[in-house]
Amino acid sequence: MRWSYVANIIGILLVFLGLSMAFPLACSLVYQDVSLKALIESMAVTVAMGMVLFFGSKRPGIDYISPREGMAIVALGWTAMGLAGALPFYFDGAFPHFTDAFFESVSGFTTTGSSVVTNIEGLSRSLLFWRSFIQWLGGMGIIVLSIAILPFLGVGGMQLFKAEVPSPVPDKLTPRLSDSAKILWYVYILISVAEVILLFAGGMDLYDAICHTFTTMPTGGFSTKNTSMAHYDSAYLDYVVLVFMVIAGINFSLHYQLIRGRTLIFWRDSECRFFLGLCLVLSIVITLNVHGTVYDTFGKAFQYSSFQVVSIVTTTGFATADYQSWPGLSQAILFVCMFIGPSAGSTGGGMKCARIMVCFKYCYRELFVLVHPKGIAQVKLNSAVVPDSVLRSIMGFLALYMGIFIVCSLGLAALGMDMVSSFGAVATCIGNIGPGFGTVGPVDNFAHVPALGKWLLIWCMLLGRLEIYTVIVLFVPEFWKK
Amino acid sequence: MHGVIFANSYKFYVLQRRSTNLKIIIVGAGEVGYHIASRLAFESKKVVIIDNDPDAVTKVAENLDVQVILASGSSPRVLSDAGIREAEILLAVTDSDEVNLVACLTANLLSPTTRKLARIRGAGFDDFHEVFKTEAPYIDTVINPEIEVVKSIQRLMRVPGAVDVGEFAEGRVNFVGIRLDRHSPMSGVRLLDFSAVFGEARPLIAAVVRNDELIVPRGEDILRPGDLVYFISEKKRLADTVKLFSSREYPLKRVIIVGGGRIGKRLADALEHESINTKIIELNLERCNVLSEKMNKTVVLHGDGSDQKLLLEENVGDTDVVVTLTHDEEKNILISLLAKNLGAKSTITKVSKFSYFPLITAIGLEKMVSPRLSATSSILQEIRKGKILSAVAVLGEDAEVIEAVALATSRITGRPLKKLSFPKGALLVCIIRDDEIIIPDGDSVVVPDDRIILFAQRHAVKRLEKLLTVKLEFF
Repeated sequence: MRWSYVANIIGILLVFLGLSMAFPLACSLVYQDVSLKALIESMAVTVAMGMVLFFGSKRPGIDYISPREGMAIVALGWTAMGLAGALPFYFDGAFPHFTDAFFESVSGFTTTGSSVVTNIEGLSRSLLFWRSFIQWLGGMGIIVLSIAILPFLGVGGMQLFKAEVPSPVPDKLTPRLSDSAKILWYVYILISVAEVILLFAGGMDLYDAICHTFTTMPTGGFSTKNTSMAHYDSAYLDYVVLVFMVIAGINFSLHYQLIRGRTLIFWRDSECRFFLGLCLVLSIVITLNVHGTVYDTFGKAFQYSSFQVVSIVTTTGFATADYQSWPGLSQAILFVCMFIGPSAGSTGGGMKCARIMVCFKYCYRELFVLVHPKGIAQVKLNSAVVPDSVLRSIMGFLALYMGIFIVCSLGLAALGMDMVSSFGAVATCIGNIGPGFGTVGPVDNFAHVPALGKWLLIWCMLLGRLEIYTVIVLFVPEFWKK
Repeated sequence: MHGVIFANSYKFYVLQRRSTNLKIIIVGAGEVGYHIASRLAFESKKVVIIDNDPDAVTKVAENLDVQVILASGSSPRVLSDAGIREAEILLAVTDSDEVNLVACLTANLLSPTTRKLARIRGAGFDDFHEVFKTEAPYIDTVINPEIEVVKSIQRLMRVPGAVDVGEFAEGRVNFVGIRLDRHSPMSGVRLLDFSAVFGEARPLIAAVVRNDELIVPRGEDILRPGDLVYFISEKKRLADTVKLFSSREYPLKRVIIVGGGRIGKRLADALEHESINTKIIELNLERCNVLSEKMNKTVVLHGDGSDQKLLLEENVGDTDVVVTLTHDEEKNILISLLAKNLGAKSTITKVSKFSYFPLITAIGLEKMVSPRLSATSSILQEIRKGKILSAVAVLGEDAEVIEAVALATSRITGRPLKKLSFPKGALLVCIIRDDEIIIPDGDSVVVPDDRIILFAQRHAVKRLEKLLTVKLEFF
């Protein structure tokens, strides 16, 4: 383990982040708001810290990053991003404790969207812009961005790439990693621009359109309004956001292939089919469930239930309705949705459809062998065999995911939260969704969670975003042995 | 006048020379190469066989009247020595696809006018079969006998009780061989009375095999139970006709394939497309993994097909067809017997040795396929191309069914059949005129551009070919 190397790359990332604070700074200048000083201070501190790490560490020949170093860089790098991203919130004074600022910042970078702010509209416009912007950065991955921009990371970057985007079905779009990273970001930016235009056309002002795009595309879920998307009460805007949430929940390499002219790719890809089918079926079930009891017309019922299903399945977490007032079946379905997540290779969190599908197919194979003792069957995804090593890793992932969910929920309950809220809070944080259940529901926030509980949830968010292994491995003694 | 006659007879002479002295170079003395060579040598064609395996070459040299060369068939030196420039046809049928392709390429450079046929079997070529067949500049056509075998297995499955099924005229006409059941209404009926008794559904009987002897029946002949009857039928009437032969009928729902080689895999693929419940039993674990990787719905089982316990476990008694396709033909026969014994409704056995055919019938296994026969059929068809549309070898090569276009210049057109001197052992069984299918009698007349289907015993093929073509060359 070459720590100086780890520090070096984290230094680069911090300088990057510091420079990107120029955007909210510009925003602050445009709107002449109160956060200008806080932003300049944060920028200075972040860039300075980055410089110290970068120049203070010796740069070994950048030719090879070991998997262990890759995981350390990514896990610690994301923590450092969270800390640096919290500075504007903290210096501004809007957040009384650093814990709260850190929670908000990590919730941003990990595209969770859980907030500790009660009066969101009370924050300055530049801070709200920063809050949305870090979600957009975190969505496609900061490391992926650096690989795209910094050519020298390309050589050893595969380890970093794998640690940050640990898709169960690895796909490299082009022979060169930096080209792949660039393509992902181009696609990401292209779709974002489209959404801004459509939202603007629907009557949102430009500032809100940009901020909401910044939180839709990474399936983040921060809003600039206290009541989230419900503020606009517009079917057009709801459906535009819904469509873009779905787009963000689809594997980005499929978007790339679509742009390249393979028009039926969404239908051909079995995971995408599963994801779209799931959204549609669950929307219909909940529509039928809430129609008559909560909403009078089918149109309204479908508008709200489909938005909520897509919002939760894609792990975005926008709210147009308080689903806690819906019937039990609808609530139970939404709770289960928190674990599923969208396609692998999208910006969403959760377990991912591919893993769920593989898990069921694996179980089916076990049953098949019981019926045909001499039978040979393979677990296949998109008619390609899932190798045993990947199968094991997926099974391990699912077990760890559930294990961490249970342990952390018990931890929150031990800190004094009620049962429904504990389960809801952990499920939503580890799945990078946003709103939970109980006292952390869609119309509430996380402000009342005890400080220790917030740190626990911060950890859960990082675990969820980096898909467990990369973070949890730092807690394995074996990792630290020379 | 004199001069004209002279000129005509001269041309006749040239034609004679060409049809008998047709020179064919075969690269590869494996099973298919050997059999094609023996077949062509029988028809007095000049055959050169090239192979670099001394044993294979020795076997050919000892048994057949052909020229052999012990060398690599893809070498230009060797091909040139073999006389590629005078050869009409080059057949590349070695076990290696690559050698076959290179042999054709080399031959093309030396002698562009020679027709070049390559056998290609690799799975990677499957999707590009048509492209290679038509587009490859240095190959005239590619042949994949495995595709033919799978097709014939599927046809056998579809016609219950059939021992042999061939297709003509784009599948509109079927050529079927069925063993006559004891309860069949047809047994004991004179052929003359067929149309009176059975009406539209009556089969047109081309040949009967009785006690291993091939008979081309006349009107007075009577069918007996146990006869293997070969007949021609329109596809839409086939189901009705088949019912006359036996009362047993079953829908095709469950199939077990023993042996997951290339043919087994192809067959399973095809059955998967038809949503037929398919299981493959394969002995080699690695092959099992490959199969389960490629198959979607087919159940892949690792085990020995002769393992009775495994067959019972997989419910062989409820299976409609068990197809045995392992590399070991003796084992295929035994597994088919075992499966039949355990209650399988029907079996199809892959057998290559012609000498086994009568034995297999004797022990009650009716349906067989032979990759060798399929390969021979498709290659013969290619060799005879031009005047003959398709040719199917039947009865272990003792006879052929030939589909041809009647040319205005050939002797067969323009006069009633009874005035034609048909070669002995040959029979015109069907005339297809536009959409009409005519079952001919003595007064029928073939008009130019009719498609005709002929049945010919092996010794009659050569003269039949002449009948179809001779006059062509005079004009």
